Amino acid sequence: MKTLDFSHNATALGLAHGPGVLDLVDRDPGCVDYIEMPFEQLRHNPSLGSVQEIAPIVLHCASMSVAGFIPPSQQTIDEISLETSRTQTPWIGEHLAFVSADGIHEEADRDTAPTNLTYTICPQLSEEAVERVSMNLESLRPKFSAPIILENSPQYFPIPGSTMSMSDFVAMVVFRCDVGLLLDLSHFMITSMNTGVDSSQELEKLPLERVVEIHLSGMKLADGIVWDDHSVPAPPEMFDLLEQVMRRSRPRALTMEYNWEAVPHNVILSHLERARNILA
Amino acid sequence: MNARNVHAVLAAGVQHPNLLSKWQGDPAFLRSQGIAPETIDLTALRKFAGLTVKVRHNGLRFDLPLTFRLMSLAELDIGVFSAYAIHCAATGHHYAKTSEERTCDLISFLERWLDLNQRNHSLLWDMIRHEQALAQLKRSTAENSASFLGNPRPPRILRGSSIPQVRGQVILHRMQCDPGAVRAALFQRPPRLDQIPEEIHFYCYWRVADEVHILNLDEFGYYALKLIDGITSVAKLNRRMGGGSRPTKAFIGALQQLAAVGVLDLYGTTSPQAICTSSS
Repeated sequence: MKTLDFSHNATALGLAHGPGVLDLVDRDPGCVDYIEMPFEQLRHNPSLGSVQEIAPIVLHCASMSVAGFIPPSQQTIDEISLETSRTQTPWIGEHLAFVSADGIHEEADRDTAPTNLTYTICPQLSEEAVERVSMNLESLRPKFSAPIILENSPQYFPIPGSTMSMSDFVAMVVFRCDVGLLLDLSHFMITSMNTGVDSSQELEKLPLERVVEIHLSGMKLADGIVWDDHSVPAPPEMFDLLEQVMRRSRPRALTMEYNWEAVPHNVILSHLERARNILA
Repeated sequence: MNARNVHAVLAAGVQHPNLLSKWQGDPAFLRSQGIAPETIDLTALRKFAGLTVKVRHNGLRFDLPLTFRLMSLAELDIGVFSAYAIHCAATGHHYAKTSEERTCDLISFLERWLDLNQRNHSLLWDMIRHEQALAQLKRSTAENSASFLGNPRPPRILRGSSIPQVRGQVILHRMQCDPGAVRAALFQRPPRLDQIPEEIHFYCYWRVADEVHILNLDEFGYYALKLIDGITSVAKLNRRMGGGSRPTKAFIGALQQLAAVGVLDLYGTTSPQAICTSSS
C-alpha cells in the first residue's frame, strides 16, 4: 500500500479519481504523486481501495456537512474514520458547505425528516455560520486520525442573510477554527465571476499561507451563471491565479479534478506539466 | 435571517425544485421561514438543482459522451436537468441504480419534454438515441445474437408465405440529422451546430455476431423492417405496407436488399427471439 511521502518538500501533484485516471496512471506511473479519492466513492465501492497499490490516496469528503446544522450520522463518521486510518491519508479535504438541513413542510407543526442531499451547498456567509463551523469542527476533529482541511464552496447565487463575501467568510473560518485551507481555484474563480468581483484582487484577501491543497478544474458559463465543470480542463486564467497563489503559499499538494468524464490523456498530461512548472 | 432556516429552505428547494415556482408565485411560505423573498434567487436555485442532478448523471457520460458534449456546447444541460429535476421531484421518481436504466428514464423524459421544432432539441433527441442504441447493442450478450451467427442462406424463390426474420438485433430510429455530422461539428473550433444539415435519415442499428453496424435505409426499407417480427408472412407484411395480397415488386425488392446486406433472413420458418425496437 502506497502512502504520500512529503520528505522531499515539494508540492505533490495528484489527480482526482475518475474515468480514465487509473488507465493513465497505469500507463505513466510517474505522472502523479497521488490519487484523490472521494470518501463517498470508497463507501459505495470499497474495492476502489486497491487503487492504493498503484498510488497513494488523499481522502476527499462531502459528507460531514461542516457548515450545517444537521450532523452526519455516527455510521458515516465511523466509516470516514475507518477510511482515514486505512488509507493513511495525510488529511481529509472536506467542503466548507452543508449537505443536510432541517426538513421543512409547508404545513405547520408537521414532523419532517432532515433533507439529505448528494451535493454540497454553499452556506450562509455570516458570523453565525462561522460559529457553526467552529462548533462542528470541534466535535469532528477528535474522531479522525488525520486533520480536516476545508474547501471553499462555489457560489452560484446570493445566499440569504449573508453578511460578508466568500473570501471574508473563508478567512474568518480559517482563523477562528485554526484550520488548513483546501483552495479550490475553480470554485474561487466561479464565485468571483458570479458575484462580480475581481478574482485576482479577491485572492489577496484569502489566508494563502494556510493553503494545504489546491484544486484545479474547469468551469462553464451557462444560463447566465458560471458553473463548476470537471469535464473540461481549467482555463488559462486559472493557471495565472495559481501563479499568484504560489507567490504567497507553498501548498503540500495540488489536485487536478478532471473527473466527470474521461478527459483526453494528452490534455491531462500537458496540464500536469504546466502545473508542475508553476509549482517548481 | 437565521442560517439554520436559510439552509433548510435552500436544501428543500434543491431536493424539491417543483416547489420553487409555487414559492415564486406565493412568497408567504418563505416569509413564514423568516426569509425575505427578495433576498432569494429562486430561478438560480432551480438551475442549481439542475446542476446537482446533472452531476448525479455523470455515470451516463461513458455511454453518451457526445450527448453530454452537445448539451454543454448548446447550453442545454442546465435547462434539461433543471426540468428533469422538477419532473422527478413532482412525480416522486427515484433515480435508477444503473446507468443503463438512468439513460432510459432520461430518454423517456426527453421524449415528452423536448420541442423538436427547436433545432438544438432535435439534435439532442437524435444524438442521445444514437448513442444509446450503440451502447445497448454493444452491451447485449453474445447469447442474444449467437443464434444468428450463420451466413445468410442462399436465395431461393421468395413466396408470399415466406416468413422473413431479422438476423441479430436491430434498433430503428428516424432522425433529422446525421449523427456523424453532429459529431464532426462538436469537435470543430468553434462548433457550428447551426451548419449541421437538417435531413431525414432512417437508421438501422444492427448487431450481428460481435459487430455493430449502422445501416442508412430508405424510408420503405425502414418501415418494412419495422414490421418484421419473425412471425408475419411476406404477404401479410405487404398488406400492412398498403399493398394487395400479392407482394409488390418494390416490397420484394426492399426485402431482398435487406437480405443482401445480411440483416434479414427471408426464408426462415421459425420465430427468432430478435430484439427489434424502434422509435420515430
